[in-house]
Amino acid sequence: MTESELTLLSKHVHDARKPLNRISMQAELVKMALNGDVPTERAVEALDKIIASTKACSDSLTTMMTELSDSQPE
Amino acid sequence: MLTVLLVDDDPEFTDVACTIIEFLGHEVLTAANLAEARDWLNKETFDHVLLDFMLPDGSGAHLFDELDALPKRPRVTLITGHPSVKGIIKGLCGPNIDYLVKPIQREEIEAVLSGKKEQKKDKSGPKIKRHFGHLIGESTPMKELYKLIERVSRTSANVMLLGESGVGKEVVAAAIHAASDVEGPYIATNCGAFSKELIGSELFGHEKGAFTGAVGRKAGVFEQSENGTLFLDEITEMPIDMQPNLLRVLENKVVIRVGGTKTIPVSCRVVSATNRSMEEIAESKVLREDIYFRLAVFPITIPPLRDRKEDIPLLAMYFIEELNKENGTQFEWDQTQLDTLKAYDWPGNVRELRHFVHRAAIMSDPDTSDLELPKTIESPFAKKQSTTPALQAGRTIEDVEKELIYATLEKVNGNKTLAAEMLGISTKTLYNRLHAYGDLNKEE
Repeated sequence: MTESELTLLSKHVHDARKPLNRISMQAELVKMALNGDVPTERAVEALDKIIASTKACSDSLTTMMTELSDSQPE
Repeated sequence: MLTVLLVDDDPEFTDVACTIIEFLGHEVLTAANLAEARDWLNKETFDHVLLDFMLPDGSGAHLFDELDALPKRPRVTLITGHPSVKGIIKGLCGPNIDYLVKPIQREEIEAVLSGKKEQKKDKSGPKIKRHFGHLIGESTPMKELYKLIERVSRTSANVMLLGESGVGKEVVAAAIHAASDVEGPYIATNCGAFSKELIGSELFGHEKGAFTGAVGRKAGVFEQSENGTLFLDEITEMPIDMQPNLLRVLENKVVIRVGGTKTIPVSCRVVSATNRSMEEIAESKVLREDIYFRLAVFPITIPPLRDRKEDIPLLAMYFIEELNKENGTQFEWDQTQLDTLKAYDWPGNVRELRHFVHRAAIMSDPDTSDLELPKTIESPFAKKQSTTPALQAGRTIEDVEKELIYATLEKVNGNKTLAAEMLGISTKTLYNRLHAYGDLNKEE
């Protein structure tokens, strides 16, 4: 793997980690809602955001694949 | 209550993190970049700053000088998405800085804010799964075993357990009983433990006055395990002239007490066990063929511990947890110790491992969490097994070399200079080898 590919890869990994971090935090929020620490509506919101984040994560992985294969010399 | 400044450029993350931090009873303000953070630091005093390492207008590290210049320097926790950055941060900012690695959990936020270095993850540590309530191990041979147990538990077939001494035949028997979900009890008895005269009474029971000393009526184990599971350990040690009686019970599914006339129906699964191999059973004629086929409708061979080495750390951790609970100690393994345990062959199998862990726990200082291992792992039974197959085809040179090195070391009471001389290698080479085996962990 070349230097530039590595840079590209680490940029994408960083992008993919962002939604993962969101998912983890929203999941904590759902836990709190189940405990009755925050209103139930927040849990529903959080779950919607989790779904959105999984899509975002999947998208950034797809982008990564495309860009990496584009950068491959023919 | 603390005043916390959260600096991160992801609004969704800061939003939820604020909810959590507020719930924990702290006041929290947010900044999305370095400029905003500087602004807040001029206006307010903070007890704690949670700082993202990568911000749109620069690295969180740029804030350090300004934080140092403040009259009351807040505690700083860096947030990073890259586990590898951890080491760099440590080098940059010294050991006095906390960091959180994304994805972050609520407990971690709680831990850094409360100032506890690292909250013990769940008091009892990672829970070790006990399959069927009894068996520990996630290796492939064990998974196979679980599958067999699962299958046989749905039938009422008699099971014969084969395996070396100490592999846990009784534990597997109990697991089969647990998996079977039957109403009756689990009764275990050892066929090798009774004299010829007594075994009949143990298995089938007796009537009052059946023989001298039979002062009352006694139910045998077949009767006791009605609708349950009967475990007959060391079945091959049962006197051969008693075996026809056993065969009759197995075939007719009725039992007659010694000295009695009434037939009593038998309705249990018989799980028998032996530490002899199938070939040995056939050759040595310790078990009649007809009995073997009655008992071993479903034979299960339990793998020796050396064939599932990846389970050794799990078992060692489980045993030490049990001992900790029993004695109120806090012992913990370190990785090199677990590697040492994994490198050994355990001819006495799980039983030997358990005794070894027990001994280590007794030898160690109960006020610390460090376990002290004896220099070498040995048992009087180990040698018999390890010396005979020493020079058989199918072993690697590496294996034999390792054994020779340990045998030599033992001979010279661990004197490495002497051992190296006997082996005809330099002490350096010997140390290198021992390092490779994971046997030298201290600065020896």
